[in-house]
Amino acid sequence: MALYPTYPLETERLRLRPFTRGDVDAVFAYRQREDVARFLFDSPLSREECALAVQQRIAQTSLSEEGDKIVLGVELADTGELIGEVSLIWRSVEHQQGEVGWILHPSFHGQGYGTEAASAMLDLAFRQADLHRVIARCAAENAPSFHLMERLGMRREAHFREHAISKGAWDEEFIYAILQREWVGCTGPSEATSSIFN
Amino acid sequence: MSSPSLPLQTDRMMLRTFERADLADLTAYHALPSMQRYVFSRTRDEADVADALNVLRGHVSLQRPGDTLTLAMVRKGDKKVIGHVSLNWQDATSGQGEVRFCINPSFSGQGYAAEALSAMFDLAFERFHIHRVFVRCDGRNHNSIKLMQKLGMRLEAHYREHALFQGEWDEELHFAILDREWKRSSKVKDLPIRQRVA
Repeated sequence: MALYPTYPLETERLRLRPFTRGDVDAVFAYRQREDVARFLFDSPLSREECALAVQQRIAQTSLSEEGDKIVLGVELADTGELIGEVSLIWRSVEHQQGEVGWILHPSFHGQGYGTEAASAMLDLAFRQADLHRVIARCAAENAPSFHLMERLGMRREAHFREHAISKGAWDEEFIYAILQREWVGCTGPSEATSSIFN
Repeated sequence: MSSPSLPLQTDRMMLRTFERADLADLTAYHALPSMQRYVFSRTRDEADVADALNVLRGHVSLQRPGDTLTLAMVRKGDKKVIGHVSLNWQDATSGQGEVRFCINPSFSGQGYAAEALSAMFDLAFERFHIHRVFVRCDGRNHNSIKLMQKLGMRLEAHYREHALFQGEWDEELHFAILDREWKRSSKVKDLPIRQRVA
């Protein structure tokens, strides 16, 4: 089902809204960092690359066909400060599959903002886009990220070893997933369901 | 990658590329309703299987990523084709290969599949220098699961409902093994004992 959400999406402490041209510096503040780039496919970005990335994101606000991506800026509702981004990709139309992702400025880690923003994206995926299953993935050494996935109630469904080369080294990747009936049934962060890997 | 020195010989079989004359033996298992769940192309009768055989006959070597090598499992003695095993070269940089196989149910449970897969793994790792071989199977296919475990493969993924398969939500397992893990005992060689010279 195509999805043209109404923005902003509001959560208790956050506002998720499309990017604008004024966001370049705020994006640069986290995307230039080595500790942020470490677990992303990209290397740290220059300001020019951030400007390009923002330019691209401005148009990424809806899902109308397979492969489309919604990328939203995450800002603090109180101050309007941009602290990161969240995304939802429509991976398969036929199989109703999606993927969520997030990047937060490290200064705002550990306060539940990631869980809050990602929950809003799962709501979007399951309640509005009517997806059947949503995955999230991360490097196996990125504990904060997969702990977040577990808090969301996602289940570890894959642990790939050396199935690709990332930045010149063998990767180790986790894929987590949650089904629509699991998300809608429990609403929000919860205990992870049984997984063969736990 | 040049074509391997085929056919391969195992204890009880010869593994060679498919020939036109294999149609009857291939039809005996390829057209079975129980097999339709696992084969690439749906085949209901000999005419359908003839088309599938044409495709399989083209799987003769791995020249570039994407290529598939398919070998018929020919029993020594009666020269009967009792199944086949394929190696698909997926990625050159990271050396990934997927192995698939089918066996005529009349001949299952006698170790033929393990024998053929073992020879195919040898070929993948030694001849084609594949880094990681993986096999996918249906979560309900207990015979395949036991076979993967017997071969020393690791369960790396257990996807639930990640695709609609013939009208039903699937359950898919991925098993994998790395080059250094395959037949490790034969690769770890003791250093020769040196005679004391002084």
